[in-house]
Formats: sequence, structure tokens, C-alpha cells
Amino acid sequence: MYVTAFECLLSQPFFVLHKASKSSESSAVMSPGKPRKRRLDSSPKVSLNSESLKENLKMEVFPYVWSKIESNIKDVLRSINADVFDEIGRWVRESFNKICSCRGPVDPSKSTLPYPFVQNGGLVKKLFTALVFTKNIETVDDILTFSELGLNLKSHGCYVANISSLDFSTKNGIGGCLRAFLRQLLMVDIEAADVSLLASWYSDHGKYEKPVVVIIEDMERCSGALLSDFIKMLSEWSVKIPIILIAGVATSTDAPANVLTSRALQYLSTSMFFLKSPAERMDAIIEAVLVKNCAGFSVGHKVATFLRNYFLRQDGTVTSFVRALKMALVQQLSIEPLSFVLKILVDEGDNKRSWYEDLANLPEEVINHAFELPSYRTYSVNRNNHAELNAMSLDHGLSELQRLQDLWRSRLMCLHEAGRYHKVALLDLYLEALDPELYNSRLSNHGCDNAKDKSLLSDSDKLFRLQKAEVTNQVIRKIRDLPAAKLSQLLKSWEGLTRGTVEVHEKIMELQSQMVSGDVKSHKAELTDNSKRHINRHRLNMEKDACTSNDKAMTLAGQTIR
Amino acid sequence: MDVDEIDEEEFGFSRNYFLAKELGSSRKKSARKLSEIDLVDEEELRQVAANIEPKHEKEVKHLISSYESSYSNWLFALRCGFALLMYGFGSKKALMEDFATKSLTEYSVVVVNGYLQSINLKQVVITLAELLWDQLKLGRKTTSGSLCKSQQPFNTRSMSDLLTFLDKPDLEVEDCFVCILVHNIDGPGLRDSDSQQCLARIASCSHVRMVASIDHVNAPLLWDKKMVHTQFDWYWCHVPTFAPYKVETKFFPFILAHGGSAQSVKTASIVLQSLTPNAQNVFKVVAEHQLAHPDEEGKFFHTWVSHFYLHFHVCRRN
Repeated sequence: MYVTAFECLLSQPFFVLHKASKSSESSAVMSPGKPRKRRLDSSPKVSLNSESLKENLKMEVFPYVWSKIESNIKDVLRSINADVFDEIGRWVRESFNKICSCRGPVDPSKSTLPYPFVQNGGLVKKLFTALVFTKNIETVDDILTFSELGLNLKSHGCYVANISSLDFSTKNGIGGCLRAFLRQLLMVDIEAADVSLLASWYSDHGKYEKPVVVIIEDMERCSGALLSDFIKMLSEWSVKIPIILIAGVATSTDAPANVLTSRALQYLSTSMFFLKSPAERMDAIIEAVLVKNCAGFSVGHKVATFLRNYFLRQDGTVTSFVRALKMALVQQLSIEPLSFVLKILVDEGDNKRSWYEDLANLPEEVINHAFELPSYRTYSVNRNNHAELNAMSLDHGLSELQRLQDLWRSRLMCLHEAGRYHKVALLDLYLEALDPELYNSRLSNHGCDNAKDKSLLSDSDKLFRLQKAEVTNQVIRKIRDLPAAKLSQLLKSWEGLTRGTVEVHEKIMELQSQMVSGDVKSHKAELTDNSKRHINRHRLNMEKDACTSNDKAMTLAGQTIR
Repeated sequence: MDVDEIDEEEFGFSRNYFLAKELGSSRKKSARKLSEIDLVDEEELRQVAANIEPKHEKEVKHLISSYESSYSNWLFALRCGFALLMYGFGSKKALMEDFATKSLTEYSVVVVNGYLQSINLKQVVITLAELLWDQLKLGRKTTSGSLCKSQQPFNTRSMSDLLTFLDKPDLEVEDCFVCILVHNIDGPGLRDSDSQQCLARIASCSHVRMVASIDHVNAPLLWDKKMVHTQFDWYWCHVPTFAPYKVETKFFPFILAHGGSAQSVKTASIVLQSLTPNAQNVFKVVAEHQLAHPDEEGKFFHTWVSHFYLHFHVCRRN
């Protein structure tokens, strides 16, 4: 039977379609890990048509912006876990000291035998175990957490091996997890895995001053029998090689009892640690990436609603949120031709400079496109700006845009600070702040206030608006109930957040000084007047003062969102 | 009188009912079997299937070519580190290969036919590693510097070694990757969890980008969240083509075909194709001997198999 080459390829399990033609110049620009420090340089020195120019620009922008966002997210997650990591680090040190204190003088010739040389028999076969509760059933979020924990412990002088439930599969048996464990410590592939190899490695190199930490990311997903065997084996060596176990637990404190055999449980001497919940991590990420303008772009209300619903109702993982953010950036760059401006916006950080130089290098066509955008049109209409449309005016427009965005962000953060006392999620506030309907209704409401014509609004209309801005209104209303100490704390944080905006900042300062003078007055009154009647009156006055400050703060918060 | 008539009528009705029942049950008890259904021969069925006139050819062609405008976006997503997952009704084989030929010219591309019954992923990884090596050498010629020359051949390396090579973060040329095109990543040969884990590890390597297609409605059940979010990192593309699954179904036995000799030949050829070249040569030698000595009636094959096993065990013990 005659078979063509094409048919042959169809029935081949795999084949090479083609080899790389040449190493491209444009591809060299993309470097996901290390962003290049290059200014936007698109001057027509290189004869490129506008399409390929745009392609190159966006290829240059993506790795730059994304690496910034990614490292920001990593920093946020690291700092959110920092306290727990420190606590775990201290516990590891203490456990190691306990093991060292109960072990006698080390005899290297006997160190490859399992049974421990012990001075006081109390700690024989006990394996120090930290149960780290992730408060998250999805282990995917904690992969990074545990690898960071591993790095953290390594930097504090521990030998660390990270093992996942995949290594504890019944198919590979105990040898599989032992191999994974030894591979990371001994840095070699071992066919016949045995703990004695680890013992000789540990004693050979005189590593007595460092503990060996084994991190199991997802305890519940491991095969129970295998994990029990593994624990039994480690406990036999626990004094000779100071092994300390850290296990991630997604469910409840019952988990070890459900997974392990009762015998294995007896070997464990457990301590508990708690990580922050996914919602808290989410808030921290939103604050760092979207609110604090690290991304350079803002997501629209529809995208934010989608992200929130997906997070709360379906997936529940921060990982998918981060992925969605990455996808949003890709989409933004693919659809919006001007989005390479992100690079300049992100580039800034705290040191602001003029973008004129960068913008002047751009082709005229691209700059003209910017003047077509609705945001620029609004800006020029507001300003009655009929200046010449060139890089200079674009530069002004961009700085104005950024100023407005900074204002918006600082006000959102003020609300968030107020909401912190009632555990209001930033994600909810963020979503309401982005809602264009709410914005329009507030505007019209504001107009009505001015016109003293509130009756024009029907009751159902008001109710609808109240319900729509539920979280924001709730936060503002609750400012009234804040005790004086918390209120002054809140004002202090507001002061810091609104430093760039003169009007709001002044009002806050005024409120603060009012509160302080009230305090001084009451203090003086207390010193001079001791009669009962006066104290009562004085208390009433104090409450009244506090109420007015709270009301003022509330009104201020109400004004800020308009 | 009337009452009698009614009784008679009822009796007639019930007798008929039971007669009918009896007849029905006797028919059920007949010795006919499913295998007796006169099914058409596979060859004939395939021929008829091949002659089915495709409908809406023009529209399908137009639809497929309309996706060409998305090629640049797909390439951008790939370069941003995502893997593409094509889904939607119709064969996506031609579309994906067209995309690779037109847009992925700067990168080496390996095509994996997931619709086949068995695929050796280790061989695929070896090929990927070799291609990446070539690509790196090519890149190095244009820039300065040299790769380490004392290089162990890839086909003797272990899987984890190969994956470490493909995932090396410290290679000097950073945006250098090879592409792997997997038709039907949910195909019969790749449906098991080990293969999917392996594919996920391949996709997560920093110097590999994956473009894959799925056709089964439950394909996403093959992956857990770790695989989806951190390893594959899919960028879903809805690309219904309505093109016939001609190639994909070619290696699948027809349900309605007669299981005659033609099909066993087909099955045997599928098994033979999935073997390594060495094993294929061994079988070729055996078959040639068998054809040359038809009178031995398989005696040679038996002795050969027992010799082969003995040899295999000796080798293993040593």
C-alpha cells in the first residue's frame, strides 16, 4: 500500500513541523524575568511600518509592566506572611535547641544507625511538627507561600526540602517521597533512597549546627498510610538528624487525626500556626496593585465585577485573580494602541518627571490618536483648552489624568481606612467606587442638593441608590459611632493619605485641631472643677463635642465621594 | 343477556392481551444477538464516509480564514507566557498548523498528534530539548559567547534532567522558546493522569510554549487548579471551525463497522505504528521470516518469543 509522506505524518505520534528560522531581534526585547531599562525609543531611525512599530512597543511594555506588578504582588504576599514566618522561624530554632539539648555527644561513627543516642529519654521518637493552617481549601494559593517559607527558613540557616502530595502517591510508594526529599537536600538523583544516606550526609559535613526542615504543602491530599510510614521513619532518626516537620493544613484541626494512623500521631509533637485568609490577601493585592497604581492602568467596573464574582462565588483563589489581571494586561495591550504609555506611567514610582521627552519621540499618528480619546476630550472641554495638539499638551493631559487618579485613590483609601474598623473588604468598596451608575446618581444627587430640590427624587429612587452603594454608605454611617480615640486615629491616617490634596487635607487638619482643643478644654475643666454637677455637665459637653466631630468626619467622608 | 355479551367481550379482550403478551415474550426469547445485525464492512463504511459531500465548504473556509486576524494576538499571548487552548466544534488541526506555519516561524515547532492511541512523551521532550539546543546555538552565533560544549546527549538523560534544561532560568538568551502543538490534548493516548501531569510540567517550562486543542466537553476535568493556573496557564480561544474530523477519527475504530479481518489489520497497524523504530524492525524481521516459511505455521514465532523473553530477563538481571 502506498502511503504519502503527509499521511505518514498524520499517523506519527509527533513530528517537527519546522525549525526556528532565525533568532529574532524583536523577540530579544521580551525578557519576562529582567525588564530592560530602556526608554521608549520609537524614533523613526529604524524604518518600520506603524503596525510592526506598535507590535514592538507592546512587546516591550508587557514584560516591563508585568514584572513590576508581579514583584509587587510577591512583596505584598511576603509581607502579609512575614509575622507568621517569623513565628515559625523562632519555633524551628526552639525545637532544634530542644533536640540538641536532649541528644548526647555526637559520635559520627554511629550516626548512620537509626536509633538515637539520648541523654534523658523524654523526647525519644518525637517529631517536632508545625501545622500551618492555610484557611484555604485551594492549595494552589499556598504553593508560593510554602516555597517562600522554605526560602525564609533557608536564609535563617536551615536545610529545607519542600515535598508536595504528588510525591506521596501510592504508586511510587515510600521510596518516591524519600527520593524527592533526598534529591533536594543532597542535590543528586538517588535510585535506592534510604534515610541512612541523609544521616551520613548530615554527619559527614559536620552540619550539626543546622536543623533539617521538611515542608509538606498539602497534608490532606497525601496518602495517609504513606505519610504515616514517612513520619514513623523520620521519628526514628529525629534525634540523630534533627528533622523538623512543617505541614500545610487546609481544613481543620482534626485533619491530622483524619489523615494519619493513631500510631503516627503519637510520634508528633505539634504546634499550630495560622496564615491570613484569602480575602485578606486579596484586599492587600487590590490595594497594592490596583489602588496604589502600581499597574499603571485601572480596570473598569465590569471587569472588577467579574473578578469579584469569580473570586467570591466560583474559584476563590488569589492565583486565578492574578492570572486574570495578567490577561487583562494582555488584552489592554492588544486592543488599545496607546497602552504602551503604561510603561512611562509605571516607570515613575515616586520620582515624578516630565514625559515630554518620551512622548516627543512618538510618531505623530500615535499622538493624534490620544486626542481622540474621551478622557482627553473631557479634559480639554473642562479646561477650555484649545491649545495646539502636540506632545506638550498630551504631557499636560497625562499629568492631569494622573493627578485625578491619585485623588480618587487617596479618597478610596480614606474610605477603606474608615471601613477597617468594621472589617469592610476593599474589594467591595473598590467595586462601588468604579460603578458608573453610582457616580452619575451621586452627581445628580449633588446637583439636587444644590438646587434644594430633593423632592424631585422619588423614594424608590433614593432607596435604589442607597442599596446600590450599600457598603460605602455603611462605612460613612458608621463613622458616627466611632469612639473618640479611634476617630482621632482615623483622622491621622486620613491626614497621611490626603497629603497631596490641599482642600481635603485642610479640612482634616481643622477637624483634628478641633478635637485636640476639645480634649485640652475638657482636661482643664477636670482640673479646675471637681463638683459632681459640673462633672456631669462636662461629660455631656464632651459627648456633644465628640458627636459633632464624628458628624463632621462623616460629612467630610460623604463629600469626598462626590 | 347483555351482561353475558359484555362478559364475552371482556374475556375476548383479556385473551387477546395475554396472547399478545405471550407472543411478545416469545419474540424476546428468540436467539437473535446483537452481533447478528448485518453491519457493513469497515472498508466500505470508510469509503462511503469519505465520499460524503461536505456541506457549507465555502462558509467553513471563510470562517477558518477569518481567524487569521487573531494570529498576532495569539502570538502575543504566547510570548507573554500563556499557553493557547483552542476549543469549539470542528477539527482545529489545519487551523493550528496554519497558525504555526505563518506566525511561529521564529520558533521551532513540534506537533503531537494526541488523537493517536499511544504517545511517548519522553521522546517528545527529547526532541524539544534538541530543538532548544539548536535554537540556542543559532542565537549564540549572532551574539557573542559560547555554550558549554561537553554536553551529554539528550536521549540518555532522565526526564527531570530534560525538564530542568527546558526550564533553565539562567540561559543568556531569554526570549528563546520552542513550541509544542498538541492536537487533542484530551485524546485517548493522553487522557491518563500521568500524561497530563507530564504535559503540565512541559508547559510550565520557561522555554516551552504550548498550543493545544480540546474536543471533549469534559476535557477540563483532566486538570486540577494547580495545573490550570500555574502550569498550563491557558489562554482560552473559542475557534469553532465546523470542519470535519477526518484525520482525528481515522485511527478510531468505527462503532457501526463490522469487526472483520480488515479491522484487526487496522488495529495491528496502529499498535505497530506506536512502537519504537527498533521494535518495529524486530517485528518486520519476524514477519518476513514467517512469509518466507509458510509451512512452519508460527513455530518460529513461538521459539523466537521464548528466546526473546529469556534474553530480556538475563539482561535485566545483569
